[in-house]
Amino acid sequence: MEDRRIGVYVCNCGTNIAKVVDCDAVSDFAKKLPGVAVARSYKYMCSNPGQEMIIQDIRELSLDRVVVAACSPRMHEPTFRKALQTAGINPYFLEMANIREQCSWVHDDARAATDKALALAHAAVRRVVHHEPLEKRFVDMCPATLVLGGGIAGLTAALELSDAGQPVFLVEKDDHLGGNLARVDLTAPYLDSARDMLADRIRRVLESPKIEVLLRSTLQSLSGFVGNFRAEIRVGADGARTVDVGSVLVATGFREFDARRIEHYGYGRLPNVVTSFELERMLREGRILTRGGRVPKYFAMIHCVGSRNPEYHGYCSRVCCMTALKYGHEIKSALPGAYVYDLYIDMHAFGKGCEDFYRRTAEMKTMFLMYAKGTTPEIVPSGPDDDCEMLIKVHEVLSGEEIEVPADLVVLMVGMEAREDAADVAHLVSISQDKDGWFIESHPKLDPVATTTEGVFIAGTCQAPKGIPGSVAQAEAAAARILGKISRGKIEVDAVFAEVDETRCSGCRMCNELCPYAAIEYDAATKRSRVISAVCKACGCCVAACPSGAIQGRHFTDRQIFSQIEGVLEWASSQG
Amino acid sequence: MGFEPRIVGFLCNWCSYTGADLAGTARIHYAPNVRVIRVMCSARVDPTFVVKALAEGADGVLICGCHPGDCHYSEGNYKAMRRFPLLGRLLRDYGIEEDRVRLEWVSASEGKRFAEIVDDMTERVRRLGPSRVKTLLEADRVER
Repeated sequence: MEDRRIGVYVCNCGTNIAKVVDCDAVSDFAKKLPGVAVARSYKYMCSNPGQEMIIQDIRELSLDRVVVAACSPRMHEPTFRKALQTAGINPYFLEMANIREQCSWVHDDARAATDKALALAHAAVRRVVHHEPLEKRFVDMCPATLVLGGGIAGLTAALELSDAGQPVFLVEKDDHLGGNLARVDLTAPYLDSARDMLADRIRRVLESPKIEVLLRSTLQSLSGFVGNFRAEIRVGADGARTVDVGSVLVATGFREFDARRIEHYGYGRLPNVVTSFELERMLREGRILTRGGRVPKYFAMIHCVGSRNPEYHGYCSRVCCMTALKYGHEIKSALPGAYVYDLYIDMHAFGKGCEDFYRRTAEMKTMFLMYAKGTTPEIVPSGPDDDCEMLIKVHEVLSGEEIEVPADLVVLMVGMEAREDAADVAHLVSISQDKDGWFIESHPKLDPVATTTEGVFIAGTCQAPKGIPGSVAQAEAAAARILGKISRGKIEVDAVFAEVDETRCSGCRMCNELCPYAAIEYDAATKRSRVISAVCKACGCCVAACPSGAIQGRHFTDRQIFSQIEGVLEWASSQG
Repeated sequence: MGFEPRIVGFLCNWCSYTGADLAGTARIHYAPNVRVIRVMCSARVDPTFVVKALAEGADGVLICGCHPGDCHYSEGNYKAMRRFPLLGRLLRDYGIEEDRVRLEWVSASEGKRFAEIVDDMTERVRRLGPSRVKTLLEADRVER
């Protein structure tokens, strides 16, 4: 053990780490640790020259273990493992110390942060000594994909996959395909018809011999792992299907904010206060009428209903501003004499073609009235002399005046929110939700459609509010990721799993019951338990529970973790 | 200089470690006293890890896992939850104050919560003062 040759690499991350942590002090300290052959501090370890430096050192200095003190291992562990592999040593001979996300970014006291970085680097050096060479496993990749949700994202992904010749099971809860988009008339900013967009895709999906559409269906359970999932699906009232798939794409969409929650808008109580989706239906049917059957003259769109308000949802729902502008166009084309008022907080027109659309809408004499964030326009009955159904009292920010807006139809631009069953879906496919209920991607910028569960992808509005182009792009991205896995035929599975030392196993079978994956079987002949490594997901539950200490969790052995504990503490105590 | 507690944190990879990373991404500052050791699941935290940390001189041990119902391995956190009171009883019998060892749930989106837990725990352990476990063990060893 003592004759290890460890290389320690301290990343400055530009100034991200170096502005708080004294990176040179960390590498100087590491140099003196037993077994450390070289320690360097460098601007960007993850850059090509940074990786080259490690590769060259491994080759020239015959390093057999590497510690990289840098960002979170969740970020670059695969990068550096690959570098080790390139240099010709086992990729698991790497240990990372997280001195960015969990150090320089969260502390401002340079001394305390450097101290912590030293402790973490020390622990990593102590741990890496005990790292064992592990071999990656390869398993067959089932080419079929389970797509959950038949909206624009699910349809798009299903077509991409089937066009590439791969089988798809498309599971839709409703009795028809199309999702939320099927409720929309025209789309902003080019005013093309949602119906046309969907009709073509739905036709192709239904005609495709590679896609099996399961309507009125829900996922009941998902077992297995990437490349080898088994899904139990309930079809209709009492049908059931079991399908084997290699990947899962979750494209379950959103639900609209319930406007009843904001009581003073009177939705559900005032007859002519409607939601954007209700106006959408009127537009599709070509019958825009008040509840009393009158053709409305004054339209008022209230923006940000349920969005950008900490009481409901803090986030922007992204599509409502442009949707409201679209109504201006549709209303004026259907009822040329109508007046359209947009009561907004900020006009978010960030998409391609959207700013132009905003300008054109203004030129069409849609009246834009700004109300302040944190306030709400008030809807009151009109007086006997007014020629409208209601008045909206609003403090208009730009003019600074209290004004009254006439309205026959008030349209509440309801935002998007996570579906009521999002938590169930997340649980079934082992993915996480953020504080608003949206599914969490593997990395917000660099890995937007993968999740923390390998083989499970997300696309569309179940991930966060977005418009059609964003949903389609994510669906295509997810399909490309899945096709990439399929084209390799085999998939690499992490080499980390639990193992039973049969000489120490007492055959008590405690682990058999504990394992959430039933990955431990009992051999009645030898009276010993055995881990089925392909099924084991390496949680380590059995390792902690084994009364005989007979189970070891690869890459998280007691010895490795004990050294880490000693590492963080011995360093601290030596500093007093 | 005043007493700076040394706390060892065991964080599950999927929720809590990610949550701690998120605190970093969001630049939410918190006390520098917790040294994190990553485990795949809170169920991997063998009670001996806690004992080992205290014996090596930790003033406190923080275990964080996914919220009940949210475990990446479906139910590992429930196992951690059930083990914890047993460990607590054992530590109590040895005269180790309850506040020194803590089990918390932190989701991948709860960077702020992680920061608050670390700050709160650091304060509580600071009030308790240095742990005597390591010193007592060493004295015991010398006597023998």
